[in-house]
Amino acid sequence: MKLPRLGTWAYYGIVGATLAFVVAPLLAVIWVSVFVNKIIGFPPTGYTLKWYANAWALVDFREGFLLSLQLALLATAIGLAIGVPAALALARARFRGKAFISTLLLSPMMVPGVVAGSGVYLYFIQIELLSGVQLAATLPGLIAAHVVIVIPWVVRLVTTALLSVSENVEEAAQNLGATPLQTFWRVTLPIARPGLVAGALFSFIVSFTDLEKSLFLVGPGRTTLPIAIINYLEWNLDPTIAAVATVQIFIIGLALVISDRYVKLSRAF
Amino acid sequence: MTQAAHASLLRPRGGTTGTLLAPATIVAVVLLVAPLFLLLRYSLNRFDPGSLMIEALTLENYVKFFTDPFYRDVLGRTIHIGVVSTAVCVVLGFLPAYFIARTQSVKMKSLLIIAVILPLLMGNAVRVAGWMVLMGDSGVINAAVMKLGLRSEPYRLLYTDLAVLIGTISVQLPFMIITLQSVIESIHPSLEEAALGMGANHWQVFSRVLLPLSMPGVVVGTVLCFIMGMNAYATPVLIGGPTFHMMAPKVYEQITKANNWPFGAAMAIVLMVTTLVLTMLSSWLMARMSGHGSVEAKA
Repeated sequence: MKLPRLGTWAYYGIVGATLAFVVAPLLAVIWVSVFVNKIIGFPPTGYTLKWYANAWALVDFREGFLLSLQLALLATAIGLAIGVPAALALARARFRGKAFISTLLLSPMMVPGVVAGSGVYLYFIQIELLSGVQLAATLPGLIAAHVVIVIPWVVRLVTTALLSVSENVEEAAQNLGATPLQTFWRVTLPIARPGLVAGALFSFIVSFTDLEKSLFLVGPGRTTLPIAIINYLEWNLDPTIAAVATVQIFIIGLALVISDRYVKLSRAF
Repeated sequence: MTQAAHASLLRPRGGTTGTLLAPATIVAVVLLVAPLFLLLRYSLNRFDPGSLMIEALTLENYVKFFTDPFYRDVLGRTIHIGVVSTAVCVVLGFLPAYFIARTQSVKMKSLLIIAVILPLLMGNAVRVAGWMVLMGDSGVINAAVMKLGLRSEPYRLLYTDLAVLIGTISVQLPFMIITLQSVIESIHPSLEEAALGMGANHWQVFSRVLLPLSMPGVVVGTVLCFIMGMNAYATPVLIGGPTFHMMAPKVYEQITKANNWPFGAAMAIVLMVTTLVLTMLSSWLMARMSGHGSVEAKA
């Protein structure tokens, strides 16, 4: 669609300004993280990487980072282990109540984090009162809560990938003598691999960045990185917090760039 | 094709299907559905400062919520922020979405999509940190303003309604852009050319061709944005400050700090039901306005 000249400039201007607005907070954080002065001044008198070392030296950030990493990896592994079979059934089997099960498995995406988080927190306390098993403020409790939020991503992305595997290819493999298991491992899975990789990466991202749900489930000395960030922000605003946020930006950015090689990112939502 | 070719893994049936689905379904039921029902049940209990919670079947928490002007005000402010921020996103989201959808360069498109999705997936902690670095009293904007000698005192940017709106919009806008982008991409450009060729002006092409065809995306985007706006936690707490009250932070406070579980649970239920009702209302309205019988949400 061709626009008149003035319209063209207005159009580019609005598009540019809106996109700048979307990335502004991330760029600001990255920039300030290398300012040399502890008090944010403009323009900075120099640049340094010392705040990254400073951030790593703070126990809340170091342990928060390691906990978030551990949590995201474990939640992703469990999410794949139970989400992939479910995706297989949803993509391949015909059964009654399929739409219902599919909605149920995707629903954690739509339930607001604070509502789901408060529910799980009270639920864990109820379990503790009944059985004496502590789940709130423990790693298993956090993992359990995060598995629920990664399942929709695994199910959605893997189901889409499996639906793209033509049944003819599988039949061809079997006609050529492959057993069903061989066909599954050597034909179906490799074709569906982009979806699997994307499902894993999105799960990792969603778990690593989760704030609202973890809020209820962390405990003293057991804080995830996003929560360590907001706790620090309540009292401080300096290049150290910018450095911590920048580390998260680079981790998530890396995961996204890898996903981009496997799936059409804009279709993942 | 023989029946034997229907291997259990490739074409799951009966028992196999059940086995494949069971773990994920059980996890969703045990860790999402059951906690939500527990929340509903707790909201009908009675709070007692001594023993925390007494089993009961009472609506008094809901009555307290809706009769206390403070909490009515909190709900009102939450709805206000949710509605205004979503409306702004609908308006701001369309042009960038259109631009990304119609960019010919594959590299450019890939770059822009990552530029939108990265903030989208970044999580609220980092995004809020970004806005605080920009808008804080000692933040980038104020440092620049004072350096230029425009003012000797910093502007109070944080802890204002506008700052909360800006923060909320920046959470939602990427979702709106990506959702609209997907839909616009699926509308063939020849339709616009045809309309232009038949004498329509740009506004008419937008309002009579593009907008009606992208209505499903507008509805999905609006629903997503509204859910996020209503349930914002980090933005009101850190950007709004201690005197800016929205629902999600109040739920957190009641449950973990005040230990008033029944009231906190009731607030969570009110928040969820309000979100749900307004979401359905808005999709219904938009479906009516766009002339379609029903527009089905993707998510």
